[in-house]
This record gives sequence, C-alpha cells and structure tokens, in this order.
Amino acid sequence: MSTIEIRKITKIFGDFTAVKDADLSVAAGEVVCLLGPSGCGKTTTLRMIAGLERATAGDVIIAGQRMNDLPPEKRNIAMVFQFYALYPALTVGQNIAMPLHHEGIGSAETAARVNKVADILHLREVLDRLPGQVSEGEKQRVAVARAIVRDPNCFLFDEPLSRLDVELRHSMRGQIKGVLSNLSKATVIVTHDQLEALTMADRIAIMRDGLIEQVGSPHDVFAKPANVFVASFIGTPQMNLIQAQFKGYSNGKAKVAFDEQDVDLSVNPAVAGLKPGKLTVGIRPRAFSVVPSDTRDTIDAVAELIEPMGAETLIHARTKTGSDIRVVVPRDKRVKTGEALHLVPDPAQTHVFADNGKAVRA
Amino acid sequence: MSVTPATQSAPTLFDISADNWRLAIVVGLVISVLAVVTLPVSISFWIVGAMAALVAAAFVVNAYRRRYYGGLLVAPAIAVLFVMNIFPLLWSLGLSFFAYQSNQQTIRFVGLNNYIKVLTNDLAAPANWNALINTAMFVVLTVSAQMLVGFLLAMLFAKQFPLRKYLLILVLTPMMLSVVASGVFFTYYYDPTFGILSYIINSLGDGQFILMSNKAGAVAGIVFADAWMWSPFVMLLVLAGLVSVPKYLYEAAAIDRVSAWRRFWTITFPYIRGLLMLALLFRTIEAFKLADLVILLTKGGNDTMTISYHLIRIANEQNKTSEGAAISYVMLFMVIVLTNLYLYLANRRNQGA
Amino acid sequence: MSSSVSFWERIGLRSNGGVGDAGWGRTLVVAIVSLIYFLPVLFIIFTAIKPQALALSVPPTLSPTSLFGLIPEQFVFTPTLENFGSVFSRIMTVGGSPEPTGFDRFFFNSIVIASVSVLLALIIGTLAAYGFSRYPLKGNDTYLFIILTTRMLPAIVVIIPVILMFRAVGLSGSYFGIIMLYTAFNLAFTIWMMKSFFDELSPDVEDAARIDGSSEVKVFFKICLPQVIAGLAATFVFGLILTWNEFLFALLLTGPDTRTVPVAMNQAVSSGGRGTDWTLLAAIETLFLIPVFLVTFFLQEHLLRGVTFGTVRK
Repeated sequence: MSTIEIRKITKIFGDFTAVKDADLSVAAGEVVCLLGPSGCGKTTTLRMIAGLERATAGDVIIAGQRMNDLPPEKRNIAMVFQFYALYPALTVGQNIAMPLHHEGIGSAETAARVNKVADILHLREVLDRLPGQVSEGEKQRVAVARAIVRDPNCFLFDEPLSRLDVELRHSMRGQIKGVLSNLSKATVIVTHDQLEALTMADRIAIMRDGLIEQVGSPHDVFAKPANVFVASFIGTPQMNLIQAQFKGYSNGKAKVAFDEQDVDLSVNPAVAGLKPGKLTVGIRPRAFSVVPSDTRDTIDAVAELIEPMGAETLIHARTKTGSDIRVVVPRDKRVKTGEALHLVPDPAQTHVFADNGKAVRA
Repeated sequence: MSVTPATQSAPTLFDISADNWRLAIVVGLVISVLAVVTLPVSISFWIVGAMAALVAAAFVVNAYRRRYYGGLLVAPAIAVLFVMNIFPLLWSLGLSFFAYQSNQQTIRFVGLNNYIKVLTNDLAAPANWNALINTAMFVVLTVSAQMLVGFLLAMLFAKQFPLRKYLLILVLTPMMLSVVASGVFFTYYYDPTFGILSYIINSLGDGQFILMSNKAGAVAGIVFADAWMWSPFVMLLVLAGLVSVPKYLYEAAAIDRVSAWRRFWTITFPYIRGLLMLALLFRTIEAFKLADLVILLTKGGNDTMTISYHLIRIANEQNKTSEGAAISYVMLFMVIVLTNLYLYLANRRNQGA
Repeated sequence: MSSSVSFWERIGLRSNGGVGDAGWGRTLVVAIVSLIYFLPVLFIIFTAIKPQALALSVPPTLSPTSLFGLIPEQFVFTPTLENFGSVFSRIMTVGGSPEPTGFDRFFFNSIVIASVSVLLALIIGTLAAYGFSRYPLKGNDTYLFIILTTRMLPAIVVIIPVILMFRAVGLSGSYFGIIMLYTAFNLAFTIWMMKSFFDELSPDVEDAARIDGSSEVKVFFKICLPQVIAGLAATFVFGLILTWNEFLFALLLTGPDTRTVPVAMNQAVSSGGRGTDWTLLAAIETLFLIPVFLVTFFLQEHLLRGVTFGTVRK
C-alpha cells in the first residue's frame, strides 16, 4: 500500500531549526501539497521523506515501513527535482530508462515501458535528443516521465512547475494531475504557488518557519483558515485583515471598533466566549455586499483606486484612518473614485482571529 | 555588431594591402627562413624580428579597418612565441640539413644526409633506435602510472570532508620539488648501502638489494620517481572536473537506484573526460622529454637511455650538433603524429555523445 | 519516538549531510594516504634539520622526535637549524671563514623571474585565448596545434640557437631575456587551458551586456574574466611550478647576477668534490619549496571552484 506518514519530524542545521514536529499522513492515491513561502521548510521536509536529508528527530514511514535509516536508494521512491536533474550525457530515452536498470528487466521490456510513458507525455519525437537540445517544457515532462516509468512507493515533486512560463504551467498542471490520478500512489508536491496547490492537491499542508500551520482540503483552507497566516496566504486578492477592538457580543453580533468606526458583525457564535480585547477580523474581498447607506452593520470606506479585472472590478478603498480595504465587485457595479462605500460582509465568510492569531470558530 | 566574421571581405592571399595579415605571415616566414639560412645569426635574428613586427602591424591595420579584433588579441602571444620559439626551431631545422659540429668552424650542406644517417646508419643507429624505443617504453609506463594514480587520488579527494584543504596541499607538494633535489634524494632512497628502500628489504630478507642492478629495477625506479612527482598534476585536473558535477545529479541517481559503476560512467565521467584528455596530452609531451631523472638516477646505465638524454650526449659530448638536430626532428615528427591522434580521437568522442 | 541519527554519525565518522559529503572516516583514510605520499618530501625536510654528521648514517635516522617512545632511539636525531644558516653563509674554501653565498640574491631572482614571466604569460595568453575562442578562424585548430608543438622539442635542441640568439642581441644574463623565454614557455599551456574555459561560457550574458551598450573591453573584464577565475588560478599555479624549478635554460642563460636557485643549488651541492652535501641540499630545497607551497595553498579554493571543461554541452 502506497502511503506516506511523517510523525513529529524535526530537522536542525547547526542552530537553525528548519522543520519542527511536522505531522502528516498521505493516503494511497492522495495528492498532498506542501505550500508556503520560501524558507518555510517545505523542501527540507520533502527531502527528509526522500532520504536526501536525515531527520534529526521523528519518524518517516513509507508504505508502512520506517525508513529513517535507509538511504534514498532503498526507499523505492520517485522524485521530480526543481532543476529536473536530467543526466546531461544521456538521451531523453536513456534518462527515462535509467531507473529501470535496477529492476533487471530485459531491454525489450524497458523499451516498451519507456515508449508507453513517452506516449502519455508526448515525448516520442524527442527520445533520441539530449537534454540540452529540448525545450524547458519538454525537460519537465522528461523528469516526470522518469518518475512514472517505475512502480515506486510514492511520488515526490519539488516545485515542479516553478521554471515554466504561465501558459506552460497551466497546461502542465492539468497533465500532471491527469497522470497522477491514474496511478493511485501517495504524492507530495512542494510549491510556493497557491494556485498550483489549490488546483492539484487533494489536501494542502501550509507551512511557515518550519511548522505546519494547517492541513486541509483546498476548500477547507480557503473557507476555514486556521490562523491569520493561512488566511492571508491563501486567496487572491489577499484577504482583508483588520485589527480591531472587541467590545462584546450581543444579539448574535460582535461589537468591534476600528478606525473610528463601531461595527456590529455577524460572526461565528464561538466569538461570544472571547474576552474584550484585541482581535483581527478577516474578510475576503469578494465577501462584501455594497449597500446604499451607512448602518450599524456596515464598514465604511472611500474608494481610492479602481482596477477593472474583466468580469470583476477590484476596488482599493480606504477607511477614515487610512486602512486599506480591498473589495471585489461584479463589473456591472459601477463605482467612482472618491465614492463612499458601505460594505456589509457575508456572515459565513467573516473570520475572527484572536490575539494569538488563531481562528475563533466552533 | 563587433564580432563580424573576418571572412566576409577578407583579402585573398595575394592581394597586396596593408591589412592582409595572411600574406604578411607567409612573406614573413619565407624571408625569415632565407635569412636564417644565408645570413649570420646576429643579422638574421633582427630580420626575423622585423618580420614579426610586420605581421603584428598587419593585424593592427586589420583591427582598425575591419574591426577584426581577434588579431589584436592574439598578436602579442604570437609575437612572443615567434621570436622565442620559431626562430630557434627554424635555425635548428635548417642546421639539420648541414654537417655542423660545434667544435669545428666549417659548415657543409648535406641535404637529407643526416636524416638518412640517423635512421639507417648501422654504427650510430642502434643507439638512436634504442633510445627511441626506451623513450616509448618510458612514456607508456610513466604516463599510465600518472593517469591511474592521479585519477585515484582525485576520487579520494572528490567529496568534501574535514581538513580536506590541508591534506590536498600535502599531495600537491611532490610536484613543487626541484627535479635536482628530488632526483638526488631518490638516488639516496635507492642506494644499496645507505638507502631506506634497501634497508627495509634487507632487514626483511637477506642479501643486498640493489634496485638499479638490472634494467627492470632501474626502469621501475625511474618510473616510480617520475610518476610520484607528476601524478598530482593529473589529480588536480581531474579534481577540477569532479567537483563541477552538480550535486543534484547524484541525488537523482540515488533515487533512481543507479549502481555505483553506472553512476560513474554516465554522470561523472562526461565531466572529467575532457580534462583527462588534456592531462594525457600534456603529460605525454613532457614524458617524451624525460632526461633529468635518467641523468640523475642511472646516467643511462642498464639500458635506460632516453632520446632526450641521448641528444644531450650527442650534442654536448660528441659535438655532433647537426645529427642531434636531425634526431630531434624525427622525434618531433613522432610526437606530432601521436598528439594529432589524441586530438582526433578526443574530438570524435566529443561529437559522438 | 526515536532519534534517527546513526551511531556512526554521532561519533563523527560519517557525515550527516546529504549525498556528496563525507565525514571524519574519509578524513582518516585520506590522511593516511596523503602522509604516505608526502613521505619522500618529509624526509627531505627532516634532512634539512639534521645535523650534518648524521646525513648518511646507517641505519638512516628518520625522525626528529621519538614520538613518546614509539620510535626506537636509533632512528631519532636532534633537530637543528644550522643548515639553514649555511644556505646563506658558508665556509667555501678549506680552512677559511664563512662567507655570504649570495643565496639571498638567488632567491630574489627566482621569485622575480618566475612570477613576472608567469604573470606575463597569463595576461598575454588569456588575451590570446579569448581571441581564439571568441573570434575563431578557419584554421584555428591548426594554429593552436602549432602553439602546442612549441612545447614538444626537448630543451637541448633549441638551447644552442637560443644561446646564440641571446648573445647576438645582448640578452645573455639579463632579466629581460630569461623572463621573455619563460613567458614563451608558459604561453602554450596558458592558451590551451584558458581557451577551454572561455569556450565554456555561455554567450547570453555577454550579448545582453553588449546590447546594453558595454564596450568589448568592459564585457571582457566585467563578465568573462570573473567566470574563469578557476582557470586563471590553475594556470598560474601550474606555470609557477614549472618555471620555478626550470634548470637547463636558467643554467645557460642567466649570469652571476640573475642566477636562479636551481642553478645555484646544483653548483653549491656538486662543488667541493666531497660528494653531495645532503643537509645543505635539503635545506636549500626546503626553503625553496616555501613560496610555491604558500601560493598553491592560498589559491587552492579557486582551483577547485569547479568549471566544466567543454566536456558537457548544456
């Protein structure tokens, strides 16, 4: 059974802790993305699963077997490197065939398997070329081909699409997803691009500074971020995070004050348990409705910059004290600069984060 | 913009124009040869110098007119090499067609006589041929030893480990020794009475051990000393190649479960092949000139005479300068053929992969 | 919960880095090999600090210290620095008093002559290599091969015309003459090495700079040169080693003022008719070794910076 499990994995380089107590389970056929800004430890975690780095503490369990003491050769994993790591002196075909030598199959079967994989990834015509003679996108597909030509315990991808241009990324995302879904192996993909994670993953693990902040389906991390960091990392345009003072909870609404406004917000009932004090309110730009007049429920701001985005329009608005609020409205909602906006957030999409950054949610 | 190919409107060979550097080279060579052959050295030298200046001037004009800067860049090196090397080479080449002995004053033109004498003369020929064969043997033995040892040493130092810097310099030191010093000390090591080698072997077995008592021992002694001194050269070149292999290739190979043997041939070797060829080329050329160690260790005894030492004897001790020149040009011819072979093979493999 | 650091790593014998690093276990192996390889040199250095009387003793005296009793007494000698003094000031005639030997001058000569000629070859040769690489001609390979052939003839063959040449022009015994000669010697290797390095550079960065308006000169200095530092270092070290120890031409072309150490060493050691003066020779050689040793040591890092050699096309 192709599964990956890491338990309390820690990696320390000298006096720098790259990864701390990471826990993650990947089921067979599941695609999990390690997502986060650079330096967050996602690549180090991947390399520990691969065996290219030794875990300082914790367990790496692949296919039910503890693999900490095994070198990469003995783990039967496949990996696609960020720089592709294609063997420069071998042809594309020989590159793809390389992992098969270990299996001791004859040249006929090797050729058959290489050809099959080449067909899946449209590499048939370039099999006899050298890596230096093929395009960036083809190189990427060769790296993937080399990984899927074998029957490994799991797949590991290190920023597979980061070197491709936007269009190529788009098409490769779909291709890779299609290929992976046929193979039912545990897969871990490392990326810093949230769009990639959201489209390719069954679950996303968001990391920051060596810690896994949240693990969940794309929908979960989008709609129910566990803390301020996840909330601000996922979603474009970025979620509005408003520092506010919590005054109290009554009539199903929280009374908050910020930027010289007092607003009553409909929020998750768990907020009732909070003591008055500082908190952060998170509202995504698309979660606002614009109402004509100022009421106790509205957040008031003045539109400063209008950015048409095609089907939608992004409005940069400013509150009285200068806080920036991003609002996205459908294109037929016409707004002029300088216009006063009264915004009511959707209760289901109004997040409250306590002073420690954690989401307050039932 | 500035790298216009010079072949576009370059003057053909026989155009008389100030920037026709090809013509300048040809004219320069012809006049130089004539001057060297006919005039005394003090005058012919200056004429050769003038020719070099002519060629340089042609390059300069070419650079100015045709924006062909390649000539400018190359000119100083060509000038130095021309003056310092070509003139002596031409001179001794010319000399090989004369019968000149440095203890006489007369010069007689004898054409190819010297060459025929060298290659077929039964009196002198055995010594010449013998020396050539010995030289070939030495070259094969010492270059193979250097390549092998140098390569192994490089593999040893390939990975990063603590104290690597300090241990590396220890291995590089033999190269830095003066041949005189190391040769003299090796005679000491090999000395039957005082030497360390003999001391060790004598205390293990019985009887006196004299390394230099037969040809095999003498050759072994010379080859060992030479290889010991120059293997670090090979090591350094190979090491430069080994450290240039990107680390992630080895990581990918680990994940692909590539065997050590295959890993070496498909990943590592392509990076060091060119450097190995370069090391092979230069060490072979130097090995052909092997003389100092032979002089110091055996004085040619036990049939270890090499061609270079033989030449020294002929030219210095027997004053047969012209013959010496002829012999050396025969040798030069062989070396040229051999190195051409190397380069041809090296280029073929480069295109092959 | 288990710690995954293996026993070997914990005692420092195997590395816990990734693929491609090794730990102290490798250091041990390499240290043994390196020391064995270094032994003949070590012996020379030890001989330099041996008292003269013990030079040829049987059994050979091997070590300056008994290493806490590990080495039996008969193999140990007490070190002395008197030989180094003799290098510079010695009794030259029987029954006379110590006179200066002029070796300070000889060392100076060696340093100046070697470094100037190697640097000159480096400059001229690198320019030429750049020319051959960036402005290739149809006969490029032929020209390069001819340059190579200048190294193929043994010294003995060209020595006579060179002597005659020098005498004719008055260069005999001058610094200029021998420096120019050594420069010519080093040019072949310099050009071949540097051309390989230049061939390896990708033209993209250079073209970008040209488009931005940089002159050719600037492109060469700011973009090409920094990338070939490993090649420059290697060429410098090799050239230095070869020139430093050169004997034959120095013997015949330097005068009493410009003599280099190898020539002086040969003279000092074989004169006197009493056979080889081992300790003196060792002392001279040890001192002579130091400058090259230091230069190589400091340039090591650049040497190993790793530049591919035209062996693998990108």
